[in-house]
Amino acid sequence: MSELLRRYRAWTVLLVVLLCALPFYLDAFWLRIGLFSMAAAVGAVGLGLLSGTAGQLSLGHAFFLAVGAYGYVWLAGEPGPGLPPAVAVVLAVLLAGAAGGLFSPVAGRVRGIYLGVATLALVFLGHHVLLTADSITGGFNGRSVPPLELGGFTFTASDPELTLLGVPFGAEERLWYLSLALFALTWFTARGLRRGRPGRALVALRDSETAAAVMGVHVARYRSAAFVVSSMYAGLAGVMLALAFRRVVPDYFSLALSVDYLAMIVIGGLGSVAGATAGAVFVTALPLLMTRYADQLPLVAAPGTTDGAVGPTEAARYLYGAAIVLILLFAPDGLHGLVRRTRARIHRRRSAPKDADPATETHPPASAVRAKEPTP
Amino acid sequence: MNDRTTAPPVLDVRDITVRFAGLTALDTVSFTVVPGSVHAIIGPNGAGKSTCFNVLSGLYRPASGTVRLGDTELTRLAPHRIAALGVARTFQNIVTTEGTVADNLMLGRHILSRAGFTASALRLPSAVREQREHLARAREIAELVGLGPHFDSPVALLSYGDRKRVEFARALCLEPSVLLLDEPVAGMNAAERARTAETIRAVRAELGLSVVLVEHDMGLVMRLADEVTVLDFGRVIAHGTPDEVRRDPEVLRAYLGTEATGEDAA
Repeated sequence: MSELLRRYRAWTVLLVVLLCALPFYLDAFWLRIGLFSMAAAVGAVGLGLLSGTAGQLSLGHAFFLAVGAYGYVWLAGEPGPGLPPAVAVVLAVLLAGAAGGLFSPVAGRVRGIYLGVATLALVFLGHHVLLTADSITGGFNGRSVPPLELGGFTFTASDPELTLLGVPFGAEERLWYLSLALFALTWFTARGLRRGRPGRALVALRDSETAAAVMGVHVARYRSAAFVVSSMYAGLAGVMLALAFRRVVPDYFSLALSVDYLAMIVIGGLGSVAGATAGAVFVTALPLLMTRYADQLPLVAAPGTTDGAVGPTEAARYLYGAAIVLILLFAPDGLHGLVRRTRARIHRRRSAPKDADPATETHPPASAVRAKEPTP
Repeated sequence: MNDRTTAPPVLDVRDITVRFAGLTALDTVSFTVVPGSVHAIIGPNGAGKSTCFNVLSGLYRPASGTVRLGDTELTRLAPHRIAALGVARTFQNIVTTEGTVADNLMLGRHILSRAGFTASALRLPSAVREQREHLARAREIAELVGLGPHFDSPVALLSYGDRKRVEFARALCLEPSVLLLDEPVAGMNAAERARTAETIRAVRAELGLSVVLVEHDMGLVMRLADEVTVLDFGRVIAHGTPDEVRRDPEVLRAYLGTEATGEDAA
């Protein structure tokens, strides 16, 4: 076990070093993909806690992303209180949590797929408010995002000018490290939650509400709390997206965005932090990559041309639609489960002659489709 | 092993009536569980035994009647409040959650631990220490019921009997003063039955708790129970020591329909 842990640690360190070194080798296009992926991963981890761990479906994730993004823009910008941007980030996350809390009378009582329907309303409500509350949101055209500033260091191309090892540090390079730090924080906290007392209570709620209740879990309170926590991660993702986009517009925060996030956690595997991250990278990076390499791909038209073929954004949607169908059919526990089972199989083959310990080998699949809970 | 010095409080059930849309599932049922005793509730299928447990653990609210644990009225409390008062239960059909045996037992430690969302997310030292302490106790309890070797195995891979034991151990993890066991040996083979009976006896002796037992296995009931309450169609038809109940003509009629020789009915 300790050997396994050491190897795991070594891989983690290697990955962190690699991620930290990337801005020195990649150009702005790739870094921007990284920024969007990391932001999406933060949001997906949040939704994963709600849907995967607590078994509550939410279609309102786009709303809380919008609260975080617009909250930051308004709090740090003009018109608005014009707070120091670092303070605005924290307050925007808390604001998203508060918005989730306001919804808790519903989120605490309504269960599973019914909550999904209830949260649908939030997206439309939010979109309407973003379009009409001109003085705060800038209406249809949105608002430009004030740059983040931490103790005199600005996350823009200049101020101060910065060149490290011959690489000029522009906005993308700076935001990369910020996003990496925020993503690491998300990873750390979400894993702590999942493996700690709240995570076990939420899993119990998902698998059997009655069992959770008789074990002393306050059902409504834990459901609401899961919703609030998920909203806070969405708020943080919203802030990160706003900083990466440099402009927020209402049309981005539509129902399609909520569905994208659901796709991320289904593709990645419900209830796992690593899976949510993998799904987020897949769903975010795919359309961007296809747009970039549209001219080299068969059946995909370059953006702006109309020669009968499918546009890169649509093609990306077809692809990840197909990915969802394939995953639900052949690996209902997502990429995470697929990796885990493959690893177990390799491990088994390697130690086939010995009668290995069954506990470390096979895990039952954490299916995306759950059986109905029997009544006691 | 146990730091509880006082005896568990009396569990007093008075005139409980439960109706489901015209069907009276329990009709003015009363019984008292003496502290530290094993109290069996028996009866044919549909007699209201599980309904009775659902009232005791707060899942059903009775139309009338009271359930008191010591001086506390239970019938108006939510299930999680009743659990916090030290009433733990198992289910007739196994209800475990995803994860390992350890995860399930740690769920049983929920009310005894404090770590909230913030402490767990930030992995504060207090939360880490608390988790470690409770894990140690959960392991002790797993050993006690014979689940020690499976402590880190996923529950879904265990045999039926072992999963029943997981539920039993999870209930024990609440350090309850009253333990409600709903058919703890149903579906087990003879060896598993004997082992479970032995465990129930052991925990009763070691932890000094009261056990309320719903069970069809008459042999087990007769061996373990100090007192037996017999339900039929939602009514108490007999009450007494196992020997008294075994000879009661009403009980024989309920189980066998006609006069019989007092053979095991199950």
